[in-house]
Amino acid sequence: MSTLKPILIRTLQLVLVLWAVVTILFLMFRLMPGNPLAAYIDPTFTAEQQEALIRQFGLDKSLLQQYFTYLINLLQGELGYSFRYRTPVADRIWLLLPNTLILTFSSLIVAYAFGIFAGAFLAWKRGSRTEAAALPVVLATRAMPEFWLGMVLLAIFSFSLGWFPAGGTRSAGTHYESLWQLYTSANFLSHLALPMLTLAIYSQGLPLLLMRSNMLDVMNEDFVTMARIKGLSPYAVVIRHGARNAMLPVMTSFAISVGYQLQGNVVVETVFSWPGLGRELVSAVSAADYPLAQGAFLMIAVVVIIMNLVADLLYTLLDPRISYA
Amino acid sequence: MKNFLNIATGVALGASLWATSVAAQDPIRTVHMLSRPQAAQPAEFQAVQLIAQEWRKLGLDVKVDVMPWSQMADAVWYNRDTWDITAWQMTGRPERSDPDEILYNLFHSSTAEKGYNFIGYQNPEYDKVVEEQRITVDPDKRRALVIRAQEILAADQPNMMLVHPQQAFAFDKNVFDESTVVDQSGIGIRSYWTWLALTPTGDQKDIIVNSSDNVIAVNPLYISGVTDNWLTELLFDRLYRVGADGLPQPWAAENHEWRDETTIAVKLRSGMEWHDGKPVTAEDVAFSYQATTGGEAPMYAPFGKNISDVTIESDNTIVFSLTTPSASFMTSTLAKINLIPKHVWEPILADLSTKDENAESYQEDMPIGSGAYKFVRWLPNEEIVLEANTGHFNAPKAERFILRQVPNAEAALGMLRSGELNFLTDFQGDPQVLLDAAEVDGDLEVVSTVDIGFRYVAFNLRRPPFNDAAFRRALSASVDRRLIVNAAFKKFAVASNSVVSPALEFWHASEVVDDFEVGADVAMSILREAGYGGVGDKLTYPDGVTETLGD
Repeated sequence: MSTLKPILIRTLQLVLVLWAVVTILFLMFRLMPGNPLAAYIDPTFTAEQQEALIRQFGLDKSLLQQYFTYLINLLQGELGYSFRYRTPVADRIWLLLPNTLILTFSSLIVAYAFGIFAGAFLAWKRGSRTEAAALPVVLATRAMPEFWLGMVLLAIFSFSLGWFPAGGTRSAGTHYESLWQLYTSANFLSHLALPMLTLAIYSQGLPLLLMRSNMLDVMNEDFVTMARIKGLSPYAVVIRHGARNAMLPVMTSFAISVGYQLQGNVVVETVFSWPGLGRELVSAVSAADYPLAQGAFLMIAVVVIIMNLVADLLYTLLDPRISYA
Repeated sequence: MKNFLNIATGVALGASLWATSVAAQDPIRTVHMLSRPQAAQPAEFQAVQLIAQEWRKLGLDVKVDVMPWSQMADAVWYNRDTWDITAWQMTGRPERSDPDEILYNLFHSSTAEKGYNFIGYQNPEYDKVVEEQRITVDPDKRRALVIRAQEILAADQPNMMLVHPQQAFAFDKNVFDESTVVDQSGIGIRSYWTWLALTPTGDQKDIIVNSSDNVIAVNPLYISGVTDNWLTELLFDRLYRVGADGLPQPWAAENHEWRDETTIAVKLRSGMEWHDGKPVTAEDVAFSYQATTGGEAPMYAPFGKNISDVTIESDNTIVFSLTTPSASFMTSTLAKINLIPKHVWEPILADLSTKDENAESYQEDMPIGSGAYKFVRWLPNEEIVLEANTGHFNAPKAERFILRQVPNAEAALGMLRSGELNFLTDFQGDPQVLLDAAEVDGDLEVVSTVDIGFRYVAFNLRRPPFNDAAFRRALSASVDRRLIVNAAFKKFAVASNSVVSPALEFWHASEVVDDFEVGADVAMSILREAGYGGVGDKLTYPDGVTETLGD
């Protein structure tokens, strides 16, 4: 019973945040300069046809009416119709979202797996020349722009060496019966490799440095000294006692990183012609396609909010010292 | 003392005379010029900066307002009284091989309020010339009128024409037989005829092309984009098609007969089938034309407007009755309207007529046409696959036509070199880079062609001083087009002074371009002769004219 109340509060907070996001999105697009009608109404339309289109877009109603219509539709899971494609926004998003999620999660998993081990390793090698050489390199990977990194990887591994293809999720004209068949095929994985690597190289800096910093703290703690005194092997001291504890903040940062990663997605999706939601969002915004832009933005916001909640829950699960209250 | 007073009075008198003479000429306000952003339209942006620079030398205070396309379209189309000058462009399409559409829609007074004549050009003499060329069927007489129209525009300079871009495309010589590529006048090697004739020489039997834009729709009743158009051209047939020479040739039609000035009978080719196996009939043809004027296909409506009636005379003869004679009917209408299956679209259009939505909102899952290629599948934002329709009367030599979406120009070039693409149909980068790559990589062939389309700077003729032809002539003369060609378009363009491109050899008035005098001194003398003051310093209106649109 005592755990129910905080969960309820958390859920309510979630709903409140979502509502705030939805409202800001709604206002943001409508306050942008320019008139979406200019982009969608051909000058050869008759007045009647123009009015029909305005009605279809819902732009003939007042701002408040549009807002409530939007909220009500949202509660029913209805995301509206894209101005540009004239097809349901939801359909388009469901098609593109898996591509973005796969890219995001696979790159983050690789980045974090690498970052955790490398961070622990560098903490172990504190004060050595390895550390002195490695740290600037790590910082550099964090500082470089993702699109530049992507272009460099493309130039080296795709155009020069020919090891990987340069764009898309599969070779031209290949057909797969199901998504599962697609995602487990060598073709797909070879197309995923470079964009994933780009994002992974960019993202690994955070977990690596965080892990290293946590390790350095943890290694000075009493229980580690105790483990050493007990005569445990270096493996037991560093990994079982040290790294397991140092890893906690890193795990929660994984969840939060998903949100930051999605920003980088847009750029990488463009460089590697990866058909994802990030690219679609940017193109919808510049084409003044309100419903699609709102829908895509909202989907990303939902993913971020859920991952933040996951981060919270994960922390309480992993660390017995922290309770929900 | 008396001397001093005399001198003082003299100075005061002189000063007041000078002051009144200067005050008599009202300074021209700061004018605003619209342009798209550099990242989106580098050539346009650069051209606008160069032009603004030249105009400032004349004494005009110009401010460049950069804005995205939707905002620009809003200002130019829907707020026709508010803007001064804008950069703009018209795309080259095969149907624009006949100059009628451009000459009429852009400048006839009837389209000034809501149509393409957004600059507000009102010239009764021009109206008459352009109306007459529309109904003059004799080619030589019509040509004389088309030349006259271009001469009037060159004298009036309602628009400042800049260039006809030269688009560069490339393909892999190892995959395809070079001699089967068709360079269509004003369009380039990226032409419908190429997609039919292109013959693979090795194992790779597919044509793999690229586009940097998303495909919006594959809909025969919707002109949704340049790339989308490539697809509808392949999936759907038309009665006539614009040939590589720019003239209409029979396609789904076998032949035609002008019964009189306003009646044309077209004989439908026999044996044609829709992609679902059903036969193409005269009813389908009649239906296709009626669909354009039914209200559900607004973008095609202007092209069917002149048709007063469509009758089916026999199994394969369709008779079109026109309201007024039209010299360009075959190119601008018979070669434009897509033939659609009545059994598919009749129920759809009937349903749409009861709703607010029109045919543009409807997307077939598997578009059914009768064209040389059949629809296979569409992976959103990634690729569209078409396969050859082997039963077609002019079946393609390749097996499939695959369009890949590649938003990154460098990647597109790299993909051409690595073989992921074998025909580069959209390259947004520097054409010189393409040429250099072709030199290094001996497999690539680059062909660049002067486009039918053009780039220009439009003046808002409703707002002084742009209502003065002399002022416009001066502004236009102040910019050497070679500067624009070299600096903004990296030499991949030809200078323009006419909306009719040199690609349309028969209709282009070359004297209008060749005899166009440019230079800062030319511009300044035009301004002075027209009575403008402050030339080279800060421009003022001629005597008696005041600024009515100050900030």
